[in-house]
Formats: sequence, C-alpha cells, structure tokens
Amino acid sequence: MQDDLELIKQLQNKDSRALSAIYDRYSGALYGVILRICKNEEVAQDLLQETFLKIWQKSHHYDPKKGKFFTWSYRVAKNLTLNSLRNPTKLIQNEDLSVYEDKEINEPELDILQLNGSLKALDPHHQKALELVYFNGLTHREAHEEMNVPLGTFKSYVKQALKKLRETYQKQLILFWVIIEKMI
Amino acid sequence: MMNRKSIKEKGILEQYLLGELSDDQHVQVEKILKEDQELFQYYTDLEQDFEKLAFENAIAPPPRVKDSLMNDILGATPNTDKNVIAINRKNQSAVYLTIAASLAVLFMLSSAWLYHQWQDSKNNLQVVQDETLDLRNRIVTLEENLKETNTWYTAINNPNTIQLVLKGNEISPSSTAITYVNHDKKTVILNSEGLAPLENDKTYQMWADVDGEMIDMGVVPSDKQMIAMKYIENAASINITIEPAGGNDHPTVERLISNVLL
Repeated sequence: MQDDLELIKQLQNKDSRALSAIYDRYSGALYGVILRICKNEEVAQDLLQETFLKIWQKSHHYDPKKGKFFTWSYRVAKNLTLNSLRNPTKLIQNEDLSVYEDKEINEPELDILQLNGSLKALDPHHQKALELVYFNGLTHREAHEEMNVPLGTFKSYVKQALKKLRETYQKQLILFWVIIEKMI
Repeated sequence: MMNRKSIKEKGILEQYLLGELSDDQHVQVEKILKEDQELFQYYTDLEQDFEKLAFENAIAPPPRVKDSLMNDILGATPNTDKNVIAINRKNQSAVYLTIAASLAVLFMLSSAWLYHQWQDSKNNLQVVQDETLDLRNRIVTLEENLKETNTWYTAINNPNTIQLVLKGNEISPSSTAITYVNHDKKTVILNSEGLAPLENDKTYQMWADVDGEMIDMGVVPSDKQMIAMKYIENAASINITIEPAGGNDHPTVERLISNVLL
C-alpha cells in the first residue's frame, strides 16, 4: 500500500478533510491493534480517538523519508495504549481496566480478536510470535518469556514468520495477476 | 556497535519498526537507514508486511468515534465548516428579513394608493350628489315657472280674451301696461312689465269705472310681471293711478297715469 504523500502534506497543514480521509483509511487497522492490546472495546474506542488526535497534533513530526506513515501511526497507537494500561487513570477512568492484570480471563471471550488473513496460514509458533509483538504490544523480551523460548530463538521465529508471510503475499499477488489476466 | 549486518540479522529492524528500541538505538538505526539505501528498501518491505498484517486484521470501529474526533478537531479549529454554516444561516435569515421588509413596503404603498383612490371617489360622489340636488331644485323651479307660464298663456290665448294696452299720459309717458280681460270667465290679467319704476313709498293701483264710480281692482305688486286682478262687472274703463304704498280706498285722480275704455 502506497502512502498518499499529498494527503499527508494536507494533514500536516491542518486540513481537517485530510484527517477525515486518513481516519477512513487507517482507523480499522489501528483499531484492530488497539483492541487486541487492551481488549476492551469502550477503552479501545477512546484510545483510537486519542490516537487520531495525536496524529492530528503531531503530524509535523512525521518524516516520509524515515518510513511509512502507517508504521508511524502504529507506534503512536501502540504507545498510547500501553501507557494507558500502565497508568489507567491518566486517560479514562474505567473499572474494566483493573482486570487487565488477568488477561487470560478476558482474551478468549472476544471472538472479534481472532486473527485473520495470511497469519492463519503460518505455523502456530510463528503465528504466536507475531501476535505477541505486533498485536499484543509485548516487547521481544516479554514475548520470548511468554513463549518460554530463548530470545534468539524468538527473534528467529519472528523472522521466519515474516518470511513466510511475504511468500504468502507474493503467492496472493501472483494469483491476483492471473485472475486479472484472465478477466482481460 | 550496530552495523548494517547486525541490524538485519539480529532482528533489530523489527524491534525498530515496533518501537521497542531505546532512544539511542532508535537514533542509530535511523542514521544507518538514512545512509544505506538497500537496507532502507529492506526495511520498507518489512513495513509493508506488517502493514498488510494490520489491514488483514482490521476491525471497524463504531462511527461515533469519528464523529466525536471530528467534533473535537472542528471545535478547536477556527474557520470550520460549522462556522461557515452559521454564517450562511445568518445570511439566510437576512434574505428572509429583506423579503419580509419588501412585502411590508409593497403593502404600505398599495394601501396608501387605495386610500387615495377611496378619498378621490368619495369627493367625486359628493360633487355628483350636490349637482344632482342642484339639478332637482332647478327642475322644481322650472316646473313651477312652466306651470305659471302655462296658466298665463292659457288665459291670454283664450279666443274670448281681449287685449288692452294702457299707455302712460304726461305724468308717466314711458309707462305701458297690458291687460287681458275675459268677460266669459270674468278674469283680468295685468302685465306690468312696462310700468316705470316708483319710489319705495309709492305703488300702482288699478281701478274700474262703473257708472262714474272708481272701484278698486287691486294694488299692482312691483315684484311680479303678470298679476291676476279683480274682475268688476259693468266696468266702462280701466285706470291706473299712483297711490301711497299699500294702496288707497279712493283713487287719487291727479295721479292717474293711464286709462283705457272697455
């Protein structure tokens, strides 16, 4: 997915229509990340709004030469969510936040948090590795402990998972082109 | 010490992407990526993979989140659409006010015009009514005149009526009176138009001579032209004298101005 640099420039010039367009494009992907980290829809919605407010306020900090806009937005969303979990009163008073200490009690209840797409085609340990660092907000150090494997092994899990993921995407891309060719 | 190889092999780029590195490490990776185009491309592919992963696992948030966000943004930003709408509303009400004011002025002008027309018609009606009254009075007068004239005409035009002219003597040479005598109907009518005017304390009086005696036929009023006088039987002549105002019992013969034999 290519970044629309013109749209981002408009956002940096504080054009609210650009923010609206960027919200439409990225809110689903970011909400998926936030909700999987905090596991509470009400809190996640507040955090999503907070994330876009920050994107609006700090957009001038984003430099396209350093990376993609989504990566920058992802970091904003993830940091806000992790901070709110560490310090629940800072953002919004919500009783449910207190239960985050017992993640395992809440996690399975939310079908919506089931991971989809190419990730499901991966081996379970590769899937788990990516889920922990990308969708649960754990650091590599936390995640390797969670999976009970050495850090080096965990890192290789992530690498292998990404490699296989890319192969899947490429296959999808080839399939997509074949379908397009046939249609033409 | 970080280098291109260690970054790629030790999974530091993944950690960099996920925002797990310390500030120092973050700056170092940023610097290396800036200088190494190939490594930057590798990193871009990595970003692409993660982005796809996120989009494949996207969850649609409820619409109210966006509404609330945009309200926050627009509320804090001047010259928002909201304000523009408010100005439009103001303009709209100004347009309505202008239309209402125009209609009011139009109504006022038409009312003034109608009032003026009404007053004009009222005046015209009054004039017509006055003229009608005047004409009616004139008709009554004319009718009376006509009736009187008809009476005199009938009397004068009768074949039995004798016309006698009384010419003034030396006392009143300019006077002339005409009498119309009808012996059948026993009427005497005098046309006094030709008699010379008298002083206010004098009047003309008519007399009939019966066997040498003067019998009063009546005083001649000064304000009438045709007068019916008394008819006297067996009169030999008709005489006119000048008498004191109000008439006299006996004629003042010295003041006889005219006489005519029957």
